[in-house]
Amino acid sequence: MGLFKRRERTGGADGPAHRLYFATDIHGAEVLWRKFLSAGAAYDARTLIMGGDVTGKVVIPIVATDEGWRADLYGDVQTATGEDQLKALEDRIRNSGLYPHRMTDEQVAEVGRMDEQRREAWFAEVMLVTFRRWLALAEERLEDGVRCFMMPGNDDPAGIDGAIEEATRVEACDDRIVEFGDYRMISLGYANRTPFDSPRELEEDEIYARVSRLADQVEDRDRLILNLHVPPHDSQLDIAPALDADLNVVMSGSEPKLVPVGSTAVRELIETYQPLLSLHGHVHESPGATKIGRTLAINPGSDYHTGRIAGCLVTLAPDRVRHQFVTG
Amino acid sequence: MSSTPPGVFQRKATGLVREGRTRDALFYNIMWSSVALTFGFFWLFYAVYPGANAIIGFLIAGALGLPGAFLYAMLTQVMPRTGGDYVFNSRALHPSIGFASNFSYVFWLAVVIGVYTTYIAEYGLAALARTIAGYTGATWWLDVASWLTSSWGLFIVGTLLLIGSATLFALGGLRLFFRIQFWVFIVYVLGALLLPMLVGLFSGDGFAGRFDAYAANLGVTDASTKLAASATDAGFASTSFSWSETLKSVSVWWFIFGFIYSSNYFAGEIRMQRRTHLFSMPGAVALVVIILLLLTPSFLNIAGYDVMAQFGLADPASYGFAGAPAYAEIVSIASGSGIIGSIVIIGFAVSMIVWLPQTILLASRSMFAWSFDRVVPEQLSAVEPRTRSPLTAILVMLALSIASTAVYAFTDWFSSLAALLGLSFTLLVTAISGVVLPFRHPRLVAGTSFGRRVLGIPLLSLVGGLAVLGFGTAITILLIDPWSGASLSEDPLMIIVVGVVYVVAVAIYLISRAIRRRQGYDLDLAYRELPAE
Repeated sequence: MGLFKRRERTGGADGPAHRLYFATDIHGAEVLWRKFLSAGAAYDARTLIMGGDVTGKVVIPIVATDEGWRADLYGDVQTATGEDQLKALEDRIRNSGLYPHRMTDEQVAEVGRMDEQRREAWFAEVMLVTFRRWLALAEERLEDGVRCFMMPGNDDPAGIDGAIEEATRVEACDDRIVEFGDYRMISLGYANRTPFDSPRELEEDEIYARVSRLADQVEDRDRLILNLHVPPHDSQLDIAPALDADLNVVMSGSEPKLVPVGSTAVRELIETYQPLLSLHGHVHESPGATKIGRTLAINPGSDYHTGRIAGCLVTLAPDRVRHQFVTG
Repeated sequence: MSSTPPGVFQRKATGLVREGRTRDALFYNIMWSSVALTFGFFWLFYAVYPGANAIIGFLIAGALGLPGAFLYAMLTQVMPRTGGDYVFNSRALHPSIGFASNFSYVFWLAVVIGVYTTYIAEYGLAALARTIAGYTGATWWLDVASWLTSSWGLFIVGTLLLIGSATLFALGGLRLFFRIQFWVFIVYVLGALLLPMLVGLFSGDGFAGRFDAYAANLGVTDASTKLAASATDAGFASTSFSWSETLKSVSVWWFIFGFIYSSNYFAGEIRMQRRTHLFSMPGAVALVVIILLLLTPSFLNIAGYDVMAQFGLADPASYGFAGAPAYAEIVSIASGSGIIGSIVIIGFAVSMIVWLPQTILLASRSMFAWSFDRVVPEQLSAVEPRTRSPLTAILVMLALSIASTAVYAFTDWFSSLAALLGLSFTLLVTAISGVVLPFRHPRLVAGTSFGRRVLGIPLLSLVGGLAVLGFGTAITILLIDPWSGASLSEDPLMIIVVGVVYVVAVAIYLISRAIRRRQGYDLDLAYRELPAE
């Protein structure tokens, strides 16, 4: 009755099991960040890993008016009078992965007149205020004994690296080897080229070079974890709608045409080094787990705009790795 | 970075325009809603609903389905994940209920698929063979038509079509299927919708004469008189309008309006524009109502209600047919042209043929969602690397579908409409989810544009309440209508079967939960809401 066989919750003779929680691509949704911080206690996980694309993409000006405040959410105009209503409005905006920013009409007009470079810099400033608050929240919320790793993803602007490095409870892991338990993890937030020209993109050979330089330093690949933002090419973890030159979805019949968009370098890295586990994100609509050789590769996907965090619990033991997708 | 609408600043990042178009989701919903099949159905069923008014019948069915269309659209916007109602119900009510309602839906889809496979043989291929005989006088085609409508003919043709559909996925994957589906849709619209409208508008009087000439080639003279006589023997009498029969006939139209929200099943694979689902699901209801408003009067112009009722009641052998003609063959006869007739019948047949892989696909998406949450073994969602086809799920669905075809071909256990009751209960469970979701997961709803209240009631609950009324009324009609295959008076076992499917599904969930716990997995974690305070 193998089906009913009880498996040990510990790691067996070689040591205890280590449970980690991995989530990614929360794109500025504050409610998801709060949930992420509570995952250690809720899931009994000793290590939390945030796999990149943590910042948002949109600033919503909350404009001061004679009656109070006004925000235009893609044509849905919302108003607030008094501090309580204003805070509630800001919370709604934050939880949708957007950045509320109190401004005057003149300031909105001024930002509208900025050239692309200046506006990107302005956006980074607005975003960084919220991001630093998130890191402060982590100091308050994370339980003792829980380690929390974070790296930027291809959508995250340069400014957040410094903030992560300065944080006390959140540990930077991008482009380096970190250790937890008996395991060593190599991380890279860069993606292969996308049609969107996002802030962190590399050619395939550069991705391979950066990761292999680190992987060559790890001898015990039975305990190696790759945490690479972009999933391996043609792995079922990288299926996304094809886009035309105007970035519109290409339809095939009545449904979107789906194509693999992952990195060939990441696939080659996994095939070459055969780590125990590889963690990925980037392609929200392609959650899943697959085996590449002996490596378990996972992409939990992302539903960040729904207020629910898609994640994966991974239990590591010397002789095996188990995973369970969870939506919190 | 760009500044899009006034007051919104977007920076350079991926995914900002990775969105589907409303018309594509609308197109998908209409393709899956079986307009042609239901229309074909009705003219046969008209005999058993004497005095029913087709237009009032489908308007009522549309009105009952409309709140549900809005609700599905709203829930899909709130929880856009592959798996549709499984995701809504497992999160809003309980994982076991979510699994049971979706399991039941897939089970009844597997049952109803036999209707399609046998109808393709009987009203598609057999009708085509008869049309060739009717316009050429080559009587051996009649033997082909007769074999196609025999039990073995229905089973063999249906099974071959199912194996063909499964092979299509296995060898060509989704990409090949969608490429074929595009062309099929064109044939469907032209053959099953546009040509019947035109024939209805321009064929004028004289259906009886054309029918007699057509039947003469099949070896029967004066067929229209024999049709009327046989129908009279079977109890036909011209009947005036009846409200009660019109209400009961809603059962047939529910085949369309109860199941026009299927784009929710691919919501997780593509992010839609903010109002895409609001337009595509209720929009599909509205569009189908418009199509039927055009199709019905033009079709009535061919021969009128009485002749249609006669076709439904009479013994087909009396006028030289192996089976009663569906609307496609009637249009073919009225056109007086073998070529036009063949195009109409082919359009009608392919609308059902394409439904087979669509249904297999929908079921495999549900199985993927169960597997993702580890309720069923991962192998069920295992994907073939080259074509990305979920082979195990397809094989499971293929086996169930062949069994269903055998049931419809060799037995009379289920009527054509019988599966509607089981399918509709899933809709009702989803409507209840809509009512309770704002109370069970207020934060989830508050973050969306459906977070507001109307008269103090959460908008989603209000729409959910209306959907409960709509779906509940439709279920009541199915339970009252003696021809629904699920009525309390004629088929009292059916509601028990529907209940048993739910009980079995809940048991599967609980057993799976226990097994997973022993394996070190806690299924409850998959659905647990994390605190965000």
